[in-house]
Amino acid sequence: MSKRKKILIALFLVFLIIPVYSTMAKGALSPDAQMCIGCHSNKDLTKQLENKETLSLYVNGDEFANSVHNPTSCAGCHTDISMANHPQVKKVASKKEYSANASKSCSMCHPNEMLKKKPMHGYVITQPKAPACAECHGAHSIKRIADWKARISEEHYCLTCHKPDLSMRLGSGETLSLSVNESDLKKSVHKGIQCSVCHTGFSKTEHPYRTFKTKRDFTATVSKSCTMCHTDAQLKKKPIHADLITAAKATTCVECHGSHSIKRMSELKPTVKENQYCLTCHKHKLSMPLKSGESLSLSVDESVIRKSVHDKLQCSACHIGFSKTEHPKRVFESKRKYSVSASDMCKKCHENANKLYEESIHLSQLKSGNLKSSTCTDCHGSHSMAKATTDKTLGLLSCNKCHGEINNVYKTSVHGEALTKAKENAPTCASCHNAHDVKVTARTTKMKDACLKCHKDADNLHKKWLSNPPIKLSSFAGLHLDTIACATCHSPGAGGGVYLTLYDKKTGYPFPEEKVLKLLKTDSAGLVKKIDTNEDGNVDAREVWNFTQRLKRKGADVTLRAIMDVRTGIEAHQLTAKAKAVKECEKCHQADSHFFKNVYIVLSKADGKPTLYTAQQGILNSPFSVLPVNKFYALGSSNIKLLDILFIIAVIGGLCVPIGHITLRVITKPIRHLRKMGKGVKK
Amino acid sequence: MKKIYLHPIPVRLWHWINVLGFIILIITGIQIRYGNIIRLFSFETAVDIHSWTGFILIANYCIWLFYYFLTFKIKIYIPPITHPIKFAKDSIRQAIFYGYGIFVGDPNPHHPTPDNKFNPMQKISYLMIMMLLIPVQIITGLFLWDPKLFSKWINLVGGIQIVDMMHVLLFIFFSAFIVVHFYLATLGHTPLAHIKAMFTGYEEEEEEEEHAAGHSH
Repeated sequence: MSKRKKILIALFLVFLIIPVYSTMAKGALSPDAQMCIGCHSNKDLTKQLENKETLSLYVNGDEFANSVHNPTSCAGCHTDISMANHPQVKKVASKKEYSANASKSCSMCHPNEMLKKKPMHGYVITQPKAPACAECHGAHSIKRIADWKARISEEHYCLTCHKPDLSMRLGSGETLSLSVNESDLKKSVHKGIQCSVCHTGFSKTEHPYRTFKTKRDFTATVSKSCTMCHTDAQLKKKPIHADLITAAKATTCVECHGSHSIKRMSELKPTVKENQYCLTCHKHKLSMPLKSGESLSLSVDESVIRKSVHDKLQCSACHIGFSKTEHPKRVFESKRKYSVSASDMCKKCHENANKLYEESIHLSQLKSGNLKSSTCTDCHGSHSMAKATTDKTLGLLSCNKCHGEINNVYKTSVHGEALTKAKENAPTCASCHNAHDVKVTARTTKMKDACLKCHKDADNLHKKWLSNPPIKLSSFAGLHLDTIACATCHSPGAGGGVYLTLYDKKTGYPFPEEKVLKLLKTDSAGLVKKIDTNEDGNVDAREVWNFTQRLKRKGADVTLRAIMDVRTGIEAHQLTAKAKAVKECEKCHQADSHFFKNVYIVLSKADGKPTLYTAQQGILNSPFSVLPVNKFYALGSSNIKLLDILFIIAVIGGLCVPIGHITLRVITKPIRHLRKMGKGVKK
Repeated sequence: MKKIYLHPIPVRLWHWINVLGFIILIITGIQIRYGNIIRLFSFETAVDIHSWTGFILIANYCIWLFYYFLTFKIKIYIPPITHPIKFAKDSIRQAIFYGYGIFVGDPNPHHPTPDNKFNPMQKISYLMIMMLLIPVQIITGLFLWDPKLFSKWINLVGGIQIVDMMHVLLFIFFSAFIVVHFYLATLGHTPLAHIKAMFTGYEEEEEEEEHAAGHSH
């Protein structure tokens, strides 16, 4: 045989034998299995589960025949099924339960010791919510791991286990999900990149066992991989991003960008809504350092926004200048200054409220440098913005941040008790002080208007007992209500005083302290000396006279108007039920009334904030007070002492006339007697 | 002794209501002003009585005003404008009587008749009292009774302090006046003569022959 013939015969044999061998090599189903496949090769064979899932009962005969379990045949695993009892009506709750039950058969051949041999596998199968064998390994097409590994891609290999519900308990008690959403992954910008590119150290053959204290630790570790592709220079190109990643407690890449579902930013931006875009980063723990050394939290709780009245607003509605494309870098002095500047945005929509706020003591205090004074966000919150009208406690809570001492008294007052009893009309802070145009109420008559908002017709109610006979006129009660603050009588335990405020006669408003300083060319410290000229710490009547005259000479037409009021804010809030209110006239109309022992000269600043100068006791009893305080007089208590002296002189004088006259008549009686006896009476 | 019908019933009634009213006003006024020293009644009671009495006396004043104007008797209060020198001389004569003549036994230069009831000094002082001081006291009293109701008028006067000051000054005057008035009322021919006349209406005047002295007010 020639060499050529030998080659041809060999080739013929090879081509003839390979197909035959390959057919022989392909596994053959056992008769039992063939019987099962007879029915289960039907792709439409399904079972409706109790949770409405549909369980496919289809088995690919070829795949099974080629699987590692072909020799075991069907009954080897499905031990509860035989031709005698099949098909049977069997209730199955869910796919999960089915695969868990079916997987139990695995341990018949694969004992636990063997399965725990590899630490990661051992860890996974001992977890309380461990995936069933079938969830990772499949059922009828299981191949020998070595063969399978060699054949499939890394991504497929990893997802085999990481697609099902897989998690890991961390040291902090957090549960770290280890599941990967395959469809997200396929849509992400990183699709096609092998898992091990990011998850360094992992591969089809390597799966180190790692533990983490917290999720953040985990994301921080994972995020390190990002820098392998995304260079530092690239990441720091945008200033805000640079700040974020270089901060001491920098947010990790994964926290903002996500992990397996990462999209190209240019693709992501148009698809997400603005708020969602902002929250991508701001829902995480973000903060920025301030010049003061404080740290300003930049985190936003999405659930809080959803509950707020601004839930429909876009972030940029308030955060002007920011958008999906713009993120200016800003620098703030302190947290407080940030809050103040942030509140400035509110007026864009809340014009009316802002107009009122502009008149408030809070804003004027802010303007004068008192940063503690409240702004919009102090009462309304920022992202939790709630409607104060629907939430009565909001006002209380926000006011109490600064005015907490008042709250303790308020709670025990008749108003506080009404609130405790959930009475609908129970007044809270804003009911009297207004919400936005909060004004100084101390030493003014403004509070009366607030009281009268609810206690309507007070003049007529008071006239029932506060009247001057013979006619009951409301004006008489009104006179008292004009001059006396409600709390003076309705806070019975409170102390009180008479407050003489400098008023402009022409305008009818308080003459501002600033104007006084200007007229007298002095400052606040100097003003004290200009009023209390003898510097004894008390302003006497002569000093008041001189002070008002001095202002008048400078062209200011001023007068002192008096009101009677409690002395402290706490006293003003300890209001009681009207039955306990003061009704005795003598409390005020008596020379030794405590009100008249506490007299103050009040100069109001333009914003209403008063400066008090203690007046000498008895200032209102001096003739020097008659003209400066010409509009105030309280019977029995502000008597001009000089008139009392005059009264005594007049009475004594009146008595002296008859006494003197009678004395003279007695002395001259002999003269008259002599004339009568002698000369007779002159005609 | 001749009897002159000097005080008709309306005048007598008016006078005694006034007496009672003035005393009450002065007492309650003192109580209102000096509540820390005197405690006859509470401030409230004092004010109530003071106000009631005040209004009664306003009505009483009106009665007086109507009576004297409607009966033209007001002329007894009015000094003779046409004879000012004579009136001045008569006034001085009357003053000399009270300051000197009365001691040496001179007769009262004034002899009252229903048409010329008051001596020149009485005329001037009563005219002032009835036409100026009492109205001022009434008006300031009304202002103090309800300062808010009369606030515009009070401001015209110069403020409640001024109003009160006027009221108190007049109260001082009337307090002193009442003492002197009462004393002068005892200077009749007997200490009770004038007072009696104020009850009966008839003033007793000694006949000239009897050389009597002293006359009514």
